[in-house]
Amino acid sequence: MEEMSTTASAIISFTENLEDSSARFYKKLAYRFANDRETFFSFANESEKNRVLVTRTYQETITDALEACFSFKGLDQSRYLTSTDLAPDADYSTALKMAIELEDKASEFYSCVAEMSKSLLATIPRAFKRVAERRGNRRSVLKALLDKATEK
Amino acid sequence: MAILEEPIKQVLGLKNYIGGEWVESKGEIADVANPATCKVIAKVPISTRQEIDAAVEAAKEAFPDWRRTPPLARTRCLFRLKELMEEHFEELSRIQTMEHGKTIDESRGETRRGIENVEVATGIPSLMMGYNLEDIAAGIDEYLIRQPLGVFGIIGPFNFPFMVPLWFAPYAVATGNTIVVKPSSEDPISQVKIAEMAEEAGFPPGVWNIVHGGRSVVSGMLDHPSIKGICFVGSTPVGKDVIYKKCGETGKRVIAQCGAKNYLLVMPDADLEKTIAASMTSFFGNAGQRCLSGANLVVVGEGLSEREHNDLYKKVSDVFVNAASKIRVGYGLDESVQMGPLRDRGKKERVTGFIEMGVKEGAKLRLDGRNVQLVGDWPHTCFLNPTVFEEVTPDMTIGKEEIFGPVAGIMKAKSFDEAVDIIHGNPYGNAASIFTQSGKLARDFQYRVQCGNIGINIGIVAPMAFFPFSGMKNSFFGDLHGQGQEAIRFFTESKVVIQRWF
Repeated sequence: MEEMSTTASAIISFTENLEDSSARFYKKLAYRFANDRETFFSFANESEKNRVLVTRTYQETITDALEACFSFKGLDQSRYLTSTDLAPDADYSTALKMAIELEDKASEFYSCVAEMSKSLLATIPRAFKRVAERRGNRRSVLKALLDKATEK
Repeated sequence: MAILEEPIKQVLGLKNYIGGEWVESKGEIADVANPATCKVIAKVPISTRQEIDAAVEAAKEAFPDWRRTPPLARTRCLFRLKELMEEHFEELSRIQTMEHGKTIDESRGETRRGIENVEVATGIPSLMMGYNLEDIAAGIDEYLIRQPLGVFGIIGPFNFPFMVPLWFAPYAVATGNTIVVKPSSEDPISQVKIAEMAEEAGFPPGVWNIVHGGRSVVSGMLDHPSIKGICFVGSTPVGKDVIYKKCGETGKRVIAQCGAKNYLLVMPDADLEKTIAASMTSFFGNAGQRCLSGANLVVVGEGLSEREHNDLYKKVSDVFVNAASKIRVGYGLDESVQMGPLRDRGKKERVTGFIEMGVKEGAKLRLDGRNVQLVGDWPHTCFLNPTVFEEVTPDMTIGKEEIFGPVAGIMKAKSFDEAVDIIHGNPYGNAASIFTQSGKLARDFQYRVQCGNIGINIGIVAPMAFFPFSGMKNSFFGDLHGQGQEAIRFFTESKVVIQRWF
């Protein structure tokens, strides 16, 4: 089967949507679960920074990608989609599990695009890798919160 | 795939920007249509001779004060302009796609390349410095200073509506000159946006002017005694026979960057996968409407037997055709699309005429872009898919003339020397590339080939803002080129001072 080729623009739109929906999701958690409000707000803010970092990097290096006729070959974005719709009656543990799944998929996505863009200017894979690390760190924090919540 | 939101929601009525005022033109009005949707997105005036004269007078009036403005203060306007361009990066890019047709990635690349020229011009306090030497004779010192000249005219092409005027404008104003820009009337919106930003950035009235229009505006610029120089990017017949000639007659400085027929040589040792990937963007990027586009791919049989050469030719052709056939064509605001339409119906008809001529003259049509297949439901008016001809020879019309569309010719040359002769047999000299692993051949290519922009394993030889955009033979008329240090020299007069104090 022919490998699907995804334009740089499509990937950037995907990351923008990913970070926007993540920011909205964590803001929702911050309002619903007051005990960890600061943590969730910091995640929401970080998502906004991630979006700026990726978009800025792309806008500053697009000519390199274009002149190398670069596209993300074989990348299936749908693999990295996960729901951020939190049911009104969802409890804290359920919310944390959703968040962990979101971070797992996001981290995997960023690691994948970082690997795929290695042939371009180093700033591009570096930006993706940095966001992957940030999302990975969030996962650790969320896991600790979940462990603490389930201990009770 | 969803279409990105269009930034132009209603038909824009464009005005001239003269002496810091947005002025309604008395000239006729023409439509600017989005080539993908065929919907009118703007109305552009075809300005009168009086209007271009008024703009030149405003620029002339603004010159003395602007010239006296310290370079660092002029630079601050450029820094603010850059910031505004960054802030509106996405809007500017989508406008280019709407008015020209290129894909959104291509538009963003164009925006970035334009901004890079503004960035380079912000270095003017250093770039414009002269030099000096003490004691050239007893007690005598000599130094060189660079001074601005006055008003410059900038005539933009349709194929890069945002970027090309920025090859000149930032350097012109940074060095203390004032400008009148005539955008292409086919896609003038980007330049209007730039002028709006220049106004917001604090350029004084009259420093940066815009006059829309056609031939009479160009004639007005060429005839006006107060215009000290012209920067033009467009076709060779106009650049050579009108712009260059008239500037010579009237004593104006001139940069006329013109047409091209660019050759890409594929040597037997080339990395085929990477060569073909680079060739795709070279031949079909911007729908081939680029003076740096690849036109002919020459498969060179240096050191091969005839049979080996034929095998290589077939292999390269097959891979090239296969890759070209997969390019997704459609509206550039659709992020899945890799090639947009031609700028208008007339340009499509012109390219179609070349395809017919290629068939008539005996080239083998391997991929016929006239069979339009699009992503999305758009009128076919301006669209063509990639076209590939094999068995093209240098004497065929499609082998020698500039097509300015998504049409590739594949040629054969027995040896490196023959390939170089083919390049030199063509009157143009804009760009040429070689794909090889051999340093010796690459060095020979760079040394011998009479083209202004040489690529070694590069598909699009687009010089960065701090290098000149070069060109030779029928691709360039003038002495100094746009961008970088050459632009600084073009926009300044060198004055030598020799001094002694008694």
